Formats: sequence, structure tokens, C-alpha cells
Amino acid sequence: MGKFQLGEFEEVVMLTVGVLPKEAYGVSIKKEIESRLSRKVSVGALQSALKRLEKKGYLKSYEGKGTQERVGRPKLFFEITAEGKEALQFTRKTRNELWEEMLNLALDVKYSSQ
Amino acid sequence: MKPAYPPKLLMRFFKWFCHKDLHVYVEGDLLELYKERVVSLGRRKADMTFFRDVLLLIRPSLIRPLGGYEFSGSALFFNYFKTSFRGLTKNPLSSFINVFGLSAAIAVCVFGYGFARWTYGVDQFHVNKNEIYLATVLVDRDGTLQQNGRTPRPLGKMMEEDFTHIDKICRVDDRNVIVKYGKKVFHERVRYTDPEFLEMFTFPMEWGLSSSLIDVNSIILSADMSTKYFGYENPIGFDLLVKFDEHNQKTFKITGVAKEFPPSHDIDFDFLINYENLKVSEPLVDHSDWSSLVTATFIQVNDPFDLTLIEGQMDKYQELQNEVETDWAISSFVFERWNGLYHKSGTIRNDISTGSDSNVIAVIYITAVSFFLLMLACFNYMNIAIVSAAKRLKEIGIRKTIGATKKTVMMQFLVENVVVTSFALFFGVILGSTVIIPWFEDIANFSMGFTLNDPALWLFLPSILLFTAVLSGAYPAIYISRFQVTGILKGSLRFGRKNPVTKIFLSFQIMLACIFIAIAVMFTRNHSYMAERSWGYDQDRTLYVRVKDRSAFEQMQRVMLQDPKVILAAGSRHHVGRSLGSIVIDKPDRSYEVDLLKIDANYLETMGIQLIEGRNFKENHTSDELNVIVNEVLVDNLKWEEAIGQVVKIDSVGYKVVGVVKNFHSSHFDQKIRPMIFQVADPTEHRFLSMKVRGGDQYEVYKAVQQQWSELFPEIPFQGGYQEDVWGRYFQDVGVHGKVWRGLAVIAIILASLGLYGLVTLNVTGRVKEFSIRRVMGAGLTSVGNIIVRQYLLLFAVALLVGAPISYFLIDFIFEMAYAYHIPIDFSGASISVLLLLSLLFLVVLVQSRKISKSNPVTGLKVE
Repeated sequence: MGKFQLGEFEEVVMLTVGVLPKEAYGVSIKKEIESRLSRKVSVGALQSALKRLEKKGYLKSYEGKGTQERVGRPKLFFEITAEGKEALQFTRKTRNELWEEMLNLALDVKYSSQ
Repeated sequence: MKPAYPPKLLMRFFKWFCHKDLHVYVEGDLLELYKERVVSLGRRKADMTFFRDVLLLIRPSLIRPLGGYEFSGSALFFNYFKTSFRGLTKNPLSSFINVFGLSAAIAVCVFGYGFARWTYGVDQFHVNKNEIYLATVLVDRDGTLQQNGRTPRPLGKMMEEDFTHIDKICRVDDRNVIVKYGKKVFHERVRYTDPEFLEMFTFPMEWGLSSSLIDVNSIILSADMSTKYFGYENPIGFDLLVKFDEHNQKTFKITGVAKEFPPSHDIDFDFLINYENLKVSEPLVDHSDWSSLVTATFIQVNDPFDLTLIEGQMDKYQELQNEVETDWAISSFVFERWNGLYHKSGTIRNDISTGSDSNVIAVIYITAVSFFLLMLACFNYMNIAIVSAAKRLKEIGIRKTIGATKKTVMMQFLVENVVVTSFALFFGVILGSTVIIPWFEDIANFSMGFTLNDPALWLFLPSILLFTAVLSGAYPAIYISRFQVTGILKGSLRFGRKNPVTKIFLSFQIMLACIFIAIAVMFTRNHSYMAERSWGYDQDRTLYVRVKDRSAFEQMQRVMLQDPKVILAAGSRHHVGRSLGSIVIDKPDRSYEVDLLKIDANYLETMGIQLIEGRNFKENHTSDELNVIVNEVLVDNLKWEEAIGQVVKIDSVGYKVVGVVKNFHSSHFDQKIRPMIFQVADPTEHRFLSMKVRGGDQYEVYKAVQQQWSELFPEIPFQGGYQEDVWGRYFQDVGVHGKVWRGLAVIAIILASLGLYGLVTLNVTGRVKEFSIRRVMGAGLTSVGNIIVRQYLLLFAVALLVGAPISYFLIDFIFEMAYAYHIPIDFSGASISVLLLLSLLFLVVLVQSRKISKSNPVTGLKVE
């Protein structure tokens, strides 16, 4: 542990970036999270999470084109880096291990309580 | 349809605070979201959510860095700190001047803060301070309404019965008694009061219970009194004998001792006993007599609205009062809120509060003075910063070449300034709390209760820091940061020497110093003038003793007259400086209140009061019963051409004026001499024995009086002393003014001379080459000195020409406000300060030019 640290929201953001290949920028990420997790995400919270993840090296960004509805302002697209993938996998692995452990214990508890 | 666009102002705000690397993208996101929302939610809701989004974007990671993008964080700041500290150690002289000057000024500010806090902290520890009101009456005196703090005796009780809005009422009546415990016998003041007193005024108790006052046999002591009689022992349960007069005494049980009163308090007590005891000690007092007055009547009303109701219904008491007291017809009752009464108590006569507005005025003075001292110190700083920037031109040039902007150079100088100011603040607080405040407490003889453990102080100090840092640092920072790199590095930039702003600062400094010195000189002179000024009677050779009745008087007079050192002895009911009566003269058109002294035939001569017209009273007291002697002020006020033979009516009895005495001060110098009448005292009324003694024998007679007293009346404490000590406290006050101003003037002189010295030194070092050349060409000490002096002479002349008149008018203004009689204002203060400052200039120049003429010109020429 300690090598990869991902907060809950950070993890959600990374995963969302992952499911939106070539389409992950501020608004789309926000909408995706809001619809999948049915919770409100503020622009500020999202932007600071993205910035933090980029600083950690888990995400990288590139500039896209501006559109009509953005009054010409370019989009900033994000994609997961190799290190980011590792971090996600690491998180998933630790979670899975914990899950299995807990389920085993739960079964034991069931037997012993009878 | 108009294209939807979010509120411009919010957009601009967002652009301002957002990090520049991010803002285009985020702005795009925001716009996109906004447009969608306008369609789905409508314009208003979209605006609202936009507003929320923008606010939620204010996060440390998203906003622009403080102080601009050029800063790569803390490294640059660290560098600034490093250069500041290096600068401080490299130029010990200017650092010392800066730090010392600023800390002296800050110390005075800290003192000012402590004093203001003490002044405004009076009685703030009473929980109910805003609900307690003192009843006062307005009495028409000679056409002006005089507010009086003593109220009719029955008022409290009747109000308690009549009003339901009043939460608590208490009466306070003071009496002088003798308190005895074992061998300790002293004259003391007791307060008769209702048990509510300690509920309204929440004095913390050291021992016992404040509610015990409900018992008529209990007595509550102050901490001082407890120590006086019992040392540090807990006296609860002990018996204390209180002698009301020679026939009447009562033993009380001590049931409570108050904690030491806070340093900043107004109302207090020595002994408290239940009000009902008045019936024991003075059985003759009629509690329903409206002409009898108590020291104070307090009410506690929780709702201010109820107070207006009560004030509206006071008419019936007014009628009751005016039926019995025609002389003291009341115009109305007024209730004064206790919180803040301290500061206006000076305008209310005979009120229980001991306060006056003089401390508030003092706070204003001290604030003004600390501000000006701070200015002085800041000017020092600015001057030195500007002049010493000449030495740092290359540093600034290099910094600018490698990328520093105007902003960063400014920032650097501000940081340096904050470092210096922080040092100064640190030393200033130490200096203030360990030197200045104890010094002031020592000369003014009171405790300010100043403590560093005070949250408001820790708000005050940073604001002083900020104020000083900005005031002293802003101008040099702006000035220095403006230099052009090319000019600096080419060496074509000439500056420092001829900066007009430096000169303006210096002249302002000199001006302030001039004013401070002038005021200090005048206060000092005024003090000695007041001490020497004649009181109008002979103070030095007179002693007095207070006696309790006729027989005591006669016994004392007999034994003292046997002493050959006593030339003359007189008896009187009142005594100058100790007890003064008051009486109303009925004029056809108005009543006229005057002071009254009831004396015997020897009194005027004994006291050395000069008779200028008519005759003295005769030895046989009955023959002069209907005659009076008056003073000059009374004659002037009543516009008598010929005073002798005039008749004054007192209580519808006519008295003939037989003599006029020269004016003398019967009260403080700061009060105008008031009209006064002398009447003959009946021998049964004698309460004072005054004695004129041969010059030089005062001390022996004083000892002898005390000796005789303790033989004759071992049970009664001695009260008396030298007449000149009667107003001792007042001279101490006048002396304090002088000392405080002298202290401030010393600080101002030190600041000004430090500034001047620093400036001249820097100036001379900057021109070392020039002077070396002059010396090689044959210039001597005087010609070098001349050149330096010439630079400052005009400036001094202007500063002093402005400063001297200002100080003159300022002194006139302060003296007129503070003293009724004072030294005639002249230019002596101003001229002394001008002389002092000029000699300071010459001294500084002399030191510098000697240094130049002693040094080897060759080394001076080698200087890069």
C-alpha cells in the first residue's frame, strides 16, 4: 500500500474517464458520473480531482477543438496513463481480496452460529 | 432568440480567480453546461446553478497563485527573508535606528492600548452593568440645570412599592464611623445598603456569601479591609465593633469578604452593612423625609422600554419633594445607565461615581501622540530605506535583469519591511509592557492591570504591524522598484541625495519633534508654576486637626496653646480643603448658591487669609451672628460697588456684610475660585482646630499634636496634618502630566536625532569621493561642515517655522482645556525646542565632518 492512493471520488473519476474513450472532458465526465451514480457533481469538485490526478500522473490531458456551444473555447480531454491503469488495477485487486476475505469470514460465522 | 450568456460579472470574477492554465477549458465547460440548462431549466435557474458552480470552483488547486504567476512559490520568499536578515546584520546602524525607533513608537502604542483598555474597562465585570441605573435629579441653579446624584431618602422604598417594572432597587448611604478589632482602631467609611446591592453589582467574593447581607447583623469587607484588620487570615465569623458615634455602637459578624477589586473599577466599598442599621445608628433619621438625601439610589430595569415608562411617571415624586424643599426645587428625575456613567460623572454633582471625563480625554491625547510617534518612526524608516537603496542599486539592477519585475522588487522590499516591523513589534511589546507601562503606573500611582493574556491585544498588535508595515514600506517599495535597469547598470542614475520626498519627511519629523519638546517644556514649567503659585493664603505654616465635638476642641486647643511654637489657634466648623459648606442666597430674581465657611474670630489670621476691606469677626461670637464676610468673587458676581454694608438674605434672614477677603483657592487649581461667605461658628459647632506655627517648627508641632491626641483620646484615631498636604494629590497629578510629556518628548527627541544621524551619515558616505576631493583641494573641517549643514539648514528653518507656531496654539488649546489657571502661554517652549533641535543638527554635522577630516582622503577616493 502507499504506492497507489486513490480516493473514492478519484477512483470514480478515473473509471469514468476509462469508459469514455476519446470523449472524456469536463462536461461529459460530469454527466456520466451523475447518470451512473445518480449524484450531483460540481464543476469545481470535478476539476480539482482531475487536476490532482493529472499531477499524480494517472491521467494525461490534451487539447481538443472548440465548438459552437462552447463559444469557441477548446475542450480538455483526458485519458488514463499506464500508471493510472496500474493504480486502478491495484485498487481493484485490494478490494477483491478484501471482499473474498470478508465473504469467507461471513460463511464461517454462519456455520459457527448454528 | 438572444444567445444565452451567463452573467458577465460572474464570468469576469471567474476569469480573475481561476488559474490561467485552466480557465479556457473550464470556461468552455461552464458555458456548455449553462446553455444546456437554459434550455432545460430556464434562464433564472441556469443563472443560479451557474453562480453555484462558480463559487464551488474557488478551491486552492484551481485558483491563481497569490502574488502573481511569476512567483515560483516559497523559494523566492525564502530568498527575500534571507536577504532581509543579511541586510539587517550588514548595516547595524540603520537596522538599529529602524528597529529601535519603530519599537519605541510601538511601545507607546501598546501603552496607549493598555490605558484605553483600562479606561473603557471600568466596571465591565458587573454582569448587570447595562441594566443598572442611577437615579439623579435635575435642579435649577441660577438658570442652569444642575444634575445631582444624591436622591431623597424615601424615593427608593416608594418606587419599589409603586412600580412593578423595576426588577431591583437598592439605596446606598455612606457614613464615617470608627471600626475596632482588638487593638486596631481606624476611621472608616461604611456603606449602608440593601441586600440587593450585591445582586445588582456582581462583585466576586473571596470568602463567604454575598447574600448574607440580608442579615442585619452581618458585615461584608473588601479585600483591602480584610488584609488591614486580619492579615491574610480568613476572617469569616469574626466579630467587628462599629462605633457610629460615642453613644451608639454595634457588633457585626463578618459573613463575607470580596475578592480584590479589578484594577479598573468605579463603584466599590470598604464595609457593607444592611441599610436597616440606619435605624439603630441614627434613630432620629426620618425615613419618609423628602428633604433628607441618600448617597445613591439604584434601580435595575431589564427592559429599556420600561425605563421610559418609569421616567414618565416620576412627576408625583417631584411634587412630594418640592413641597418640602423649596430651595432645591427639582425639575425632573433622570436615570443614568451605570455602564458609561464613569465618563460623564464629572458633570453630575455629588454622585457616587468617582469618575470623570479626564481619562477619556487622556485616551484621545495618548492615541494622537502614539500615532505621531509612529509617524516619526515610519519617516525614519522611509528615509533610511530610500537613502540606503543607493547602496543596493546593483542588487536591484541584477534582480531586474534576471527577470524580476516591478512587482517582485516591490514585494521584496515589503517583505524586508515586514521582517523589520516584526522585530520592532516584538521589542516594542517587551519595551511597552516591561518599561513604559510600569513607569507610568509608578508615577501615576495606579495599576492598569495590563496583561499580554488578552485576546483583543492580539488583534490590536497585528493591525499595528500591518499599519506600520504599509505606512513605512509602501513608498520606498514603490520608489525603488521603479528604477530603470539600464540607468542603474550604466551608473547614470543619480538619486538619494536630492530626493525631495526625503526632505519633506525629514522636515515633518523635525516639526513633530519640535512640537513634542515645546509641549513637554511648557508642562514642566506649568508644574513648577502651579506648585509655586500662591494659594492666596498661608499653607506652609498651618496645621489642622479634626475634632469630634466642643469639649474635644477645647481640650486640644488648651494643650496646644501651651506650646510656645504655636502662635495662634482657631476653631471652625468647616476647613479649607477638608470640608466646605454650601448655602443659598435669596436674590429677588433668583437664588444664588455659594460656598460657606463657618469660622471663629481667629481663623482668618491663622490661615493667613487676607482681609482687604472692612473688619474681621469680633472675639465675642454672638455680636457677629448676623454679619458675614465675603470674598472678592462674590462681590464681583453680585456687581456691588461698595460691598461693606450690603445685606444678603439667607433663609429669609438678612445678614450684613462687614468685610471682604482677598480671593484664595479653597479647592483645586483647575477649578475657578467660587463665591464664598464666612459666618461665625457657634463654639458647639467647632470641628476643626487650625494652628499657625513658627516657620521651621511644623514637624515638631505635628509630632506634639499627635502625641497630645493619643493621650487625650486613645480610642479615637487621629485625623489631621499639614495644610499643604491637603491638595498633595492634585500636584501629583499636575506633576504626572509633566512627567508623561517629558517621557514622550525624550522618545521624540531620540527618534528625531536617530533619524537625523542616520540620514546625515548615509548622505556623507554616499558623497565620500566628493569630500575626499574637496579635502585634497584644501577644504578643512569648517568648510566640510558648512557644506553638510547648508543642505539641512533651510529644511530645518522651514520645519521649525511651521512647528513653533503650531506648538504654541496646541499648548494654548491643551492648557485651556485642562487647567482653569495656568502659566501664561509664551514662546519659551517653542524657543527651547528650536534651540535644542538646532544644536542637535550641529552636533550631528560636527561628528560627521570630524570623521571626514580625520580620515585619509586617499581611502575615500579609492571607494568604489
